[in-house]
Amino acid sequence: MKLVLGYFSIEDIQFAEEPRLEDGVLFVDEAALSAEVLADERLRAAHFEIARPGESVRIIPVKDVIQPRVKVEGGGEMFPGMASNVDVVGSGTTYVLEGMSVVTVGPIVGFQEGVIDMSGPGEVYSPFSQLNNLVLVVEPAEGVTPQEYEQAVRLAGLKTAMNVAELVRELTPERIEEFEHLNIVESSRKYPDLPRVAYVQMLQSQGLLHDTYVYGVDAKRILPTLISPTETMDGAIVSGNCVSACDKNTTYHHLNNPVIADLYKAHGETLNFVGMVITNENVYLADKIRSSNHTAELCSYLGLDGVIISQEGFGNPDTDLIMNCTKIEDKGIKTVIITDEYAGRDGKSQSLADASPKANAVVTGGNANMLVEIPPLDKVIGSSGYINVIAGGSAGSLKADGAIEAEIQVYTGATNELGFNKMSAR
Amino acid sequence: MAKEIERAGFPVAHICTVTPISKTVGANRIIPAIAIPHPLGDPSLDPANDKKLRREIVENALHALTTDVTEQTIFEE
Repeated sequence: MKLVLGYFSIEDIQFAEEPRLEDGVLFVDEAALSAEVLADERLRAAHFEIARPGESVRIIPVKDVIQPRVKVEGGGEMFPGMASNVDVVGSGTTYVLEGMSVVTVGPIVGFQEGVIDMSGPGEVYSPFSQLNNLVLVVEPAEGVTPQEYEQAVRLAGLKTAMNVAELVRELTPERIEEFEHLNIVESSRKYPDLPRVAYVQMLQSQGLLHDTYVYGVDAKRILPTLISPTETMDGAIVSGNCVSACDKNTTYHHLNNPVIADLYKAHGETLNFVGMVITNENVYLADKIRSSNHTAELCSYLGLDGVIISQEGFGNPDTDLIMNCTKIEDKGIKTVIITDEYAGRDGKSQSLADASPKANAVVTGGNANMLVEIPPLDKVIGSSGYINVIAGGSAGSLKADGAIEAEIQVYTGATNELGFNKMSAR
Repeated sequence: MAKEIERAGFPVAHICTVTPISKTVGANRIIPAIAIPHPLGDPSLDPANDKKLRREIVENALHALTTDVTEQTIFEE
């Protein structure tokens, strides 16, 4: 499987009646995009706002972040089985709108969702503060269940991103990148002397706003399976989760997975990137045992020397992580795990709910419980009051002047477990 | 909580879904529960069978409390 990504750099977004990309400025027709969103009768209202890096803007509550992409060659369309027909993706050519995203916002489903600050001290906690964001703000129709509402917003975001990306279908990208995924026989012949390394990606799969979809299938219903890394670049994996937004993978993360990007950089040089296994994090112990068994068997079947495992979320998924780690290690395969920590506000508590001496190579995205005080910003897209109820906030998090005091857990992507964020410590 | 209550001299039966976490944190009597969102029952069952299941979990926990253990023990039904 070979996929070419062609990039367009988006320097700014403006509303205009004639949608187009001109000198790095993306002009979008708000009325047309809103009308498409409102074709879904489960949504009562929809409008768009633009949030640019450096502006005094807070976006809350953020449900998903999506990078606009369009497939111009090869099978299928973006987000197959979810926002387009089921077809195999991951080969051909896909165009990418870099430097921007579509962000979905609306009344919260429960106690979830996240925050993006476009400037101020909160800016560093969400990587999406660095993008030009086309923010879709929706309201559910009366009588719509939380499940229906969540699905409607998810689809609205994906379809908006697809509609926006259509604008570049006939244009020529500024630069291209190629990603090839060989079958295991070919890659073994081509790189006989390099260590065989694979990536195990754990997908959150625990119910409403805790779900992830693979070709449209709810990930809690999959057995661990092989997938080409290039398929993820075409939207084979879609986010339906944002609870404790700091360590949930948005759809943007799935399209731009840094573990995959770095393994490709090393591929053929210092290692043979053999492939990728996706697995789930379910709420039944038997599922955890079954999925980790199957993941370890697939790794063994691939004849690997090393595996990188990324977790999504925290708490009981720490057990899925440790099961994956120990069972893969027991096959004689070295592992590195990527996680984050809930070590309390003082950082002195046990970081993970589960542990094993075999988890002896750990990369952390940081302590999600760290408390921060952030001064008010001039404008709020959405509604700032939700900070008092979302995970990481608490009653009194929103101050009278609009400042917030909350754990960095509230920021979308703050302690991402794919290593997407840029925070570090010495 | 399980460890602190035991330290005060009372036996503790820890009912939980993810028994490996219970073992990691040091509980001694561990009773498997149903699922993380509904540890003490199963909403997919009809009320009569759900009640039966709930009673079995509690009886298993009471059995664990009155059983001597020499190491961390999971009380499978």
